[in-house]
Amino acid sequence: MQDAENVAAPEAAEERAEPGPQQPAAEPPGEEPARPEGPGAPEAADGENEEAEAGPGPEAPAEPAVDGEEAAAGATPGPSPPPPEEPPAAAEAEDEAPGEQAPAEQAGAEQARDAAAEARSDGDGAGGEQGGPSEDAVVAENGDADEPSFSDPEDFVDDVSEEELLGDVLKDRPQEADGIDSVIVVDSVPQVGPDRLDKLRNVIHKIFSKFGKITNDFYPEEEGKTKGYIFLEYASPAHALDAVKNADGYKLDKQHTFRVNLFTDFDKYMTISDEWDIPEKQPFKDLGNLRYWLEEPECRDQYSVIFESGDRTSIFWNDVKDPVSIEERARWTETYVRWSPKGTYLATFHQRGIALWGGEKFKQIQRFSHQGVQLIDFSPCERYLVTFSPLMDTQDDPQAIIIWDILTGQKKRGFHCESSAHWPIFKWSHDGKFFARMTLDTLSIYETPSMGLLDKKSLKISGIKDFSWSPGGNIIAFWVPEDKDIPARVTLMQLPSRQEIRVRNLFNVVDCKLHWQKNGDYLCVKVDRTPKGTQGVVTNFEIFRMREKQVPVDVVEMKEPIIAFAWEPNGSKFAVLHGEAPRISVSFYHVKSNGKIELIKMFDKQQANTIFWSPQGQFVVLAGLRSMNGALAFVDTSDCTVMNIAEHYMASDVEWDPTGRYVVTSVSWWSHKVDNAYWLWTFQGRLLQKNNKDRFCQLLWRPRPPTLLSQDQIKQIRKDLKKYSKIFEQKDRLSQSKASKELVERRRTMMEDFRKYRKMAQELYMEQKNERLELRGGVDTDELDSNVDDWEEETIEFFVTEEIIPLGSQE
Amino acid sequence: MGHTGAVWCVDADWDTKHVLTGSADNSCRLWDCETGKQLALLKTNSAVRTCGFDFGGNIIMFSTDKQMGYQCFVSFFDLRDPSQIDSNEPYMKIPCNDTKITSAVWGPLGECIIAGHESGELNQYSAKSGEVLVNVKEHSRQINDIQLSRDMTMFVTASKDNTAKLFDSTTLEHQKTFRTERPVNSAALSPNYDHVVLGGGQEAMDVTTTSTRIGKFEARFFHLAVEEEFGRVKGHFGPINSVAFHPDGKSYSSGGEDGYVRIHYFDPQYFEFEFEA
Repeated sequence: MQDAENVAAPEAAEERAEPGPQQPAAEPPGEEPARPEGPGAPEAADGENEEAEAGPGPEAPAEPAVDGEEAAAGATPGPSPPPPEEPPAAAEAEDEAPGEQAPAEQAGAEQARDAAAEARSDGDGAGGEQGGPSEDAVVAENGDADEPSFSDPEDFVDDVSEEELLGDVLKDRPQEADGIDSVIVVDSVPQVGPDRLDKLRNVIHKIFSKFGKITNDFYPEEEGKTKGYIFLEYASPAHALDAVKNADGYKLDKQHTFRVNLFTDFDKYMTISDEWDIPEKQPFKDLGNLRYWLEEPECRDQYSVIFESGDRTSIFWNDVKDPVSIEERARWTETYVRWSPKGTYLATFHQRGIALWGGEKFKQIQRFSHQGVQLIDFSPCERYLVTFSPLMDTQDDPQAIIIWDILTGQKKRGFHCESSAHWPIFKWSHDGKFFARMTLDTLSIYETPSMGLLDKKSLKISGIKDFSWSPGGNIIAFWVPEDKDIPARVTLMQLPSRQEIRVRNLFNVVDCKLHWQKNGDYLCVKVDRTPKGTQGVVTNFEIFRMREKQVPVDVVEMKEPIIAFAWEPNGSKFAVLHGEAPRISVSFYHVKSNGKIELIKMFDKQQANTIFWSPQGQFVVLAGLRSMNGALAFVDTSDCTVMNIAEHYMASDVEWDPTGRYVVTSVSWWSHKVDNAYWLWTFQGRLLQKNNKDRFCQLLWRPRPPTLLSQDQIKQIRKDLKKYSKIFEQKDRLSQSKASKELVERRRTMMEDFRKYRKMAQELYMEQKNERLELRGGVDTDELDSNVDDWEEETIEFFVTEEIIPLGSQE
Repeated sequence: MGHTGAVWCVDADWDTKHVLTGSADNSCRLWDCETGKQLALLKTNSAVRTCGFDFGGNIIMFSTDKQMGYQCFVSFFDLRDPSQIDSNEPYMKIPCNDTKITSAVWGPLGECIIAGHESGELNQYSAKSGEVLVNVKEHSRQINDIQLSRDMTMFVTASKDNTAKLFDSTTLEHQKTFRTERPVNSAALSPNYDHVVLGGGQEAMDVTTTSTRIGKFEARFFHLAVEEEFGRVKGHFGPINSVAFHPDGKSYSSGGEDGYVRIHYFDPQYFEFEFEA
């Protein structure tokens, strides 16, 4: 709706503004008061109406005639009812439309009104004003009691406003705009002579009475022909709104496409200045290179750490030896932090909104004011930010969810939202061009940058349960459950064409989950079914091959309960955890190029409840988080070998770095109160670091933007890996020997310092020897054997009897 | 005969003639070590938390808890003046209004005492005037234990903030820090190596809810100079409350909340171990 207005209306306003000067604007207002099109006449009549309300009584019309001649010229005939064929609304329309004329007329009317007010205060003998009685009293005291004068003295100035006196009455005074909400203006109507006017009226009536009863219409004419625009009045403003919504853009014939606008909108657009103000030039803020961290020569990654139960946040370079701190701030965020999808920004949460930080020094880049914000989501392109707050929403002003432009900081659009249970409410297409939201029986897809509904309407999908965008193209997958005889259905829809590229019917469905492979090459729909004649739930993995014609589907069926499912991010494998504790197994499947799905390997007796694939694929960490005590298995799926089995006791999180070289396991204070730490492992499961942080809460790797290398370049690099690995190994050796050298060096200096300190302390100790001797009556107690001469040797013999008691008889 | 409440502290003078004990029965008592005869009974208003003989064995001090509306005090008696004992009138009484003393020892030569507080602060009080000579705050939480080196030139503190720290006795200058993941209840310095042993673990009140595995009731050995851990001894199934080295440095013992005192003799490797430096 909002967009329709914004886009369509200004054009219409411009069109409408044009005819203004062409109209007989120069006509003196008073000359033809009865003529409907004369811009002056209705204005004057209008002015008169107001006067009648404001004026004190019947004598008023006579009075202003003296002071306000210009107005009076138009006003005098006013009291007589307007010509019956002139719809009042249309008259008003006329006075609004001719832009240049209006202000002058307005001034005239105002003058007339002022005059009327003056006239009243001068000539009002009724003593209705508050000032009256006291004046009377004064007069009475003066002694002229016979005939008290109720008229104000010559120099009396009425300092009581009308609002004060008649506030309660004036409040109900009809507004200029009253009643005009139900009026619409239709443009691009065929211009016809009187002979065909009736026919036109019929056609118009037919089209527009669909939206409500038309109580009035007006066809302005010029030289015997209609002007090509008309005014229609409905019985209620709702009908008018309906008409604007539905009839705008109505194609009457080839030449005539109706443009329908609310009459009140004209008012709005009339006030826009004709002169275009050149927007003030904003100084360019150089934020520096926001991607500087990618230029790090060692290709290290960054991560954020929240600790001390949220009081402190740090950013580190990940380093094999020890993390290198880049930035540490107290109370940087009030709850947690988020990185943007390409890593450019760090978002912090505050009671009053969201702040974005970036650049080398982590300066504030943007702020979004959203009181009580709880959840956020970035568009994948990092252009938009979606924020959610439960506090701000009101009926008229949707503010539960706000979409912001990150670069300008401007609010793009607000939405209502009842519950944030399924965050993100809005799901973005991979390129950030579209975002969609599901409500009851409806899927609403919006487009950027207009933030308007795609094709101005939502999709009606009765029963829609879930949907998700392909990460590799503008395709939406959604599913609807069974409804009586109609089977459950998974649909893939291309956008913006809305073409259904694949529909798959499913039977006896309990639940579906949509899992996209990261490139959008495959979609797995995990279908929980209760087939007839069997007991319990069976799970089908319906694998859609997105890159092939017709999108072929293959199915893998499993009878055991499914604990977790995950696609290999850049590949064609997937992993499934199934079974019931303690008999949990993991199975690795491979979708072959011919479509066959092959079980590569199954490991049983796993202690795992979550699957974490390396972002580059091939390697996977199976973790038994929380209740499973933090068991970890590092698996290479290329040959399906378990590289290492380890444990990070009570681990609550596993986070791969964006390159897939390292993985962090952590025990968050949010889930466990002791041993809060994060450990760094290689992808092979070799433990590199244990970082204990007081009340550690969260570690998040800074994401990297997609690689700029082409597939061929990557292939070439793979081919030359041996060459590179030689260089890297050498570097590693160097840094390792450097590290151990550094460590030894550090220890040496510490030892040296300590030795120095001890030497000093010893010297002092020796100096105090005499004092010690004095205090202990001359006995030297400095060494254990310092008084060896004083020792008396004593031999004591104990007679020990040994008795063996059989174990059983002890009790 | 004897205390009627938990005994919180014991000290013997240098020639082991006398023994001093402080108890939750609101008394501090002086005993003859050989005969076990009670020589003095000093009544207090609240539990006696720490006590000790000075270097020469002539002056005793003890501190009381902030408890039942009574302040924390450190009292000093000179045993050479029997009237002080008889009248239960110490020659000096230092009030500690802000934060109570949780551990205290005599400084070298008996000129001052070093007290660790509930807040993590360390104070050096003059034994003559009672004034605060040095105040430092290196720990963020309660100091559970203070133990001097054999030559009394330095001491190690054990704190609830999961660390133990080494200080200079005279200046109270912070020297080293030894970090763990659990509260440290006690720390002791080896008499002949640059080693320190730390004992502690998950707090006793939390132990029933945690397994011994995450309780970490191990005695941990650190090198004094490089602050690195080089050894751990398991065995207790409750937190360790106190640790001590044998005067010859060849063994150590630990007492735990589990009710056991464990005495461990070091392996030959212990004496050979050296950090690469």
